[in-house]
Amino acid sequence: MKIAKLGLILFAITVVAAGILGFANEKTAVLIEKVNEDANNESRQQVLPEADEFKELESNKLKEIQTSNPEVLDIYEGIKGGEVIGYTIKTGTNGYGGIVEVITGINKEEKIIEGVRLGNNNETPGLGALATEESFYGQYDKKPSEELEVVKSAPGETDILAITGATITSKAVTSGVNLASEVFAELDK
Amino acid sequence: MSIFAIVISSIFVNNFVLSRFLGICPFLGVSKKVETALGMGVAVTFVTTIAGIVTYGVQYAILERFNLEFMQTIFFILVIATLVQAVEMFIKKASPPLYKSLGVFLPLITTNCAVLGAALLNIQNEFTFVETIVNSIAAAIGFTLAIVLFAGIRERLELANIPKALEGFPIALITAGLMSIAFLGFVGLV
Amino acid sequence: MKKTDIIKNGLITDNPTLVQLIGMCPTLAVTTSAINGLAMGLATTVVLIGSNIVVSLIKKIIPDEIRIPSFIVVIATFVTLIGMILKAYFPDLDKTLGIFIPLIVVNCLILGRAEAFASKNKVSDSAIDGLAMGLGFAIALTVLGMIRELFGAGSIFGIDIFGANYQPALILILPPGAFFVLGLLIAGIEGLRNRKEAKLIEQEKAKEAKVE
Repeated sequence: MKIAKLGLILFAITVVAAGILGFANEKTAVLIEKVNEDANNESRQQVLPEADEFKELESNKLKEIQTSNPEVLDIYEGIKGGEVIGYTIKTGTNGYGGIVEVITGINKEEKIIEGVRLGNNNETPGLGALATEESFYGQYDKKPSEELEVVKSAPGETDILAITGATITSKAVTSGVNLASEVFAELDK
Repeated sequence: MSIFAIVISSIFVNNFVLSRFLGICPFLGVSKKVETALGMGVAVTFVTTIAGIVTYGVQYAILERFNLEFMQTIFFILVIATLVQAVEMFIKKASPPLYKSLGVFLPLITTNCAVLGAALLNIQNEFTFVETIVNSIAAAIGFTLAIVLFAGIRERLELANIPKALEGFPIALITAGLMSIAFLGFVGLV
Repeated sequence: MKKTDIIKNGLITDNPTLVQLIGMCPTLAVTTSAINGLAMGLATTVVLIGSNIVVSLIKKIIPDEIRIPSFIVVIATFVTLIGMILKAYFPDLDKTLGIFIPLIVVNCLILGRAEAFASKNKVSDSAIDGLAMGLGFAIALTVLGMIRELFGAGSIFGIDIFGANYQPALILILPPGAFFVLGLLIAGIEGLRNRKEAKLIEQEKAKEAKVE
């Protein structure tokens, strides 16, 4: 009997907690979704500035791409005046501290990379995390949507200069961008 | 991620103690002797594995089904607390000698963030059931490895001549830092 | 207990990080920069104040046997609330603190204060204790974060201090740096205390000598 009573009290406390949290959840859930949505939209806008709006790629197509390239996370069509002018492709490739999320924007008409941004990553602060600064990701702007290579000095037309001391991160970002180019070639067929 | 990659990553590359900083309290608290460190490691491995399995069930069978994800923290910690209690009672009945050697550690495990941390990471990484089990065991082995090695070093430190201000906790932390440097060498393996 | 004593206890005499040495996981994990340390400290403070108040309020109606699980539910509720607020209003901070937000639940500091203080004291005193202990924790984390950020990245709170030519000692923001800086910080405090004690002993000896 005593155990039942104790259990009941604990249960009551949990129910009160659930009530409070349920209420708070209702208040914040919409906001949290909006914050995430805004953040994603903002980075999509940054990598494909010309587009007015973004639409998720049809789920069938996305699934088909993901079966052969599981590292592709999501794909959006960038639309301007009702026409698809490019794609933003989010990839997750292996870096130094785990998965590095990279969002690549590719212009459909000119087949060039419009911009690259990093999403979630656990790269080392001060080294790999420097990839989130413009001095690094700016290098991808206007590069052709082809296989890019990471070099340690004197970058050419399709080369990316590695961050000093963070070659693995540089390679991870570049392989994400290259994967995006491959996917783009497939989409553009 | 392949099973092999998960094992290597959880034991060495992202060692729970030395690179993720989970389970620091017992790591510093019960590491004066190799024997007790090993006991703690075994107890943690046991609880982490079962907790991983149960929280997996709770997450997908209850929380996601009824849209109660916001209750995750409460449910998980209650699961772990109950589990620790149950394991304690079970071992006490089933094997008194084992209870004698592990018993003192069990209550401490509830507030060991390695257990809750492993459960949360399993969900965050969207592991499958098999991966969840593998990751829980590997994470706990990583913990055990770190704490046993650390205890081995501390046993020897007892005999060393250390500046007075560094005695005890500070020198333990610096030792842990040096071990952490050694484990940095594994980074990039997976 | 006097209110000023409670405050002094939390901030200095019984400082959770530097004297009691508890709550080590977040202390080591999130102090890669001053702002992260401060954020973690403040999040913990809010949880601590909340849980101390509620625990003190309900201490009479909770049977002794289920004291600990009840406290844990109270703490977990506050932690989840903080998590929601961070996600909704400070998404960047939420990302850097990551898994250590839900892990505030198992910070021994909070359960420790609920058990040792709030379950035995008045609501007002418990609230003050939560504030003082929380701030003591926050200050220690911020200081640790400042040291690591200053030497590991050359800045404090993101403001460049050493200029562009500074070659940062990266090891300090890497995991080993957390152990080193905290170890030396505690050793420093220990050293100061030893010196103070030595002085006191000397003074006493001098007094004794005079008496003789």
